[in-house]
Amino acid sequence: MESSGTLRRAALVLAFTLPLVAVIGSVARAIPVFSRKYQTSCSTCHYAFPQLNAFGKAFQNNGWRYPGGDANFRKDEPTSLGSEAYKQVWPNAIWPSDIPGSAPLAVHAVGSVEMPLNQPDSVAKSNLSFPEHVQVFYAGTLGETFSFFGEVEIEKNDEGGMDLGTPFRLQWNRCTGFNVVAGSLHFDPSPGDFSLIPSDINVSTLASRNGWTAAGEMPGLGVWGAGNGAGGRGGWKYTAGMVQGQGMSAFGADKDFYARASYKIGGLGEIGGTEGAASKTSAFWVDNSATLGGYVYSGTVAGAVYSQREHLDVVAGTANVWYSNAQLDATVMNMTSKIDGLADRTSLAWYAQGQYVIYPWLIGLVRYESTQEDKDVGSATTTLVPAVVAMARANVKVTLEYRRPLSDYDTRKTTDEHLLLRLNFAL
Amino acid sequence: MNRTIVSFTAVLLVAGAAQAGTITGKVTIPHARTLADVLVYVDAAPGTFAPPKNHALMDQRNLAFVPHVLPVVAGTTVDFLNSDQVLHNVFTPDKCANKFNLGTWPKGEKRSVKFDNPGCSPVLLCNVHPEMEGFVVVLQNPYAGVTDKAGVYSIADVPEGKYTVKVWNRKFLDVTSSVTVPKTGDVKCDLVLK
Repeated sequence: MESSGTLRRAALVLAFTLPLVAVIGSVARAIPVFSRKYQTSCSTCHYAFPQLNAFGKAFQNNGWRYPGGDANFRKDEPTSLGSEAYKQVWPNAIWPSDIPGSAPLAVHAVGSVEMPLNQPDSVAKSNLSFPEHVQVFYAGTLGETFSFFGEVEIEKNDEGGMDLGTPFRLQWNRCTGFNVVAGSLHFDPSPGDFSLIPSDINVSTLASRNGWTAAGEMPGLGVWGAGNGAGGRGGWKYTAGMVQGQGMSAFGADKDFYARASYKIGGLGEIGGTEGAASKTSAFWVDNSATLGGYVYSGTVAGAVYSQREHLDVVAGTANVWYSNAQLDATVMNMTSKIDGLADRTSLAWYAQGQYVIYPWLIGLVRYESTQEDKDVGSATTTLVPAVVAMARANVKVTLEYRRPLSDYDTRKTTDEHLLLRLNFAL
Repeated sequence: MNRTIVSFTAVLLVAGAAQAGTITGKVTIPHARTLADVLVYVDAAPGTFAPPKNHALMDQRNLAFVPHVLPVVAGTTVDFLNSDQVLHNVFTPDKCANKFNLGTWPKGEKRSVKFDNPGCSPVLLCNVHPEMEGFVVVLQNPYAGVTDKAGVYSIADVPEGKYTVKVWNRKFLDVTSSVTVPKTGDVKCDLVLK
């Protein structure tokens, strides 16, 4: 693709972003590394892991640091990489920093039992997958202005083998409003950051004609930031950057661009703090607020299915409303695909998901999904996913979901209807 | 913490104006990781003890209740201060303290609760930081001391007389001991919890 087209796409992305206020790169989890570092419970940061609560997001938006002075809260003793006084000596010395005082490691293990429904007698009635995947995380801060997050993931694939993933990112946290990130960037298309249940959200898995999905992690460079709104409540987040397109073998080839912005009304400030936060009730799973946002993605996908390269543009709007024990997430995503010699294809996917905390350890959830791969052909595929999430402990989760095809039930019932029990634990 | 000491001192000036001594000692707990935060107190001292005019203080600082154990005379009002740049909550599930929930409040602000029932030792929890735990122990009199990390405690200004000393803690069996407090000076009372 010629550079003028690339520049035009970049300009379009920036034009969309400027009136808003943007997240990729900041989408990373708080994990038991931080639990040990601060001697605090998982639920300090998690609604139910991996989904973050309001404080978890504020912690993340501070570059994985406690708002208002990280040093006061950390219980470990970092290893110094130079006395503070060396700041006075710079540039005639390396700027001082520190590293975690103990190995910043954590483990997340996942197993599941899937029970496909409506299967012929010759097919197994249940599939046990223990482990389904295992992740070893390493994360923390490097002095006052750098932070890192990485993982080694081993996942069972459909062929019975194992896939290995090693994404990581390094951040320069200039201030909460401006951070630079380099590494593996995950473009999360849902406003709630992470799905609580096994079924991936349709906007994550909607594939372009050459196989691009928002779910994959891509190497790239980006900037992001966040700030509180008026009175210390709610606030803004943005992210923008450039990633290597999926299927692209060399970073020197075409790049993809993304931008995302959101504004939160009410609730805990995006970067934390206690200003204006007095209330008669409180709970780690409550953050009365409404967050509206949107994202764009523009890129090129190598010829995985078609020999020609595919150009795609994604535009989406997101909403997250949180009131007392209830939370509603919704995203509408439009994807336009262009391939030389073929008619353009426009896809539309949206979902709405409601969650309700019955007890702090028990969450009911129902998601409705609608996906139309080609708006000019056929009708939307719709699916309903009710589920129950039980936190046996703050770090042990049991999830039971039922996936029910609504449209074309007779043809989809053997492939897309299931009960799935998943066990997660982290330490 | 300082305010708590001031409050207790004020009561002592009223109730214990006579000759007084100090009970000191060490609490030992075999195989325990820490000897801190064991409350040693005088059980049923003669007389009645008005609560202090000044409020006692329980701070929330660096994700911890400070002090971890706060002894108060029945009728004392305790101020709960948030000293952190993060939201905290204070609630108790204990009936003897009416299962209160104070909500959340910003850094530097306080919420207050009056503790009326002697013998009540409600656990204080923060529902946004489940690892946080503290205790208010409501006593009949102000003669109490909390151990340091070495297990050492001191109860000052106890009027002369014979007393029963008791221990309060959440994990170990309580013990009782008798002491005779002199007109002046110290009396030693070491205790072993099992």
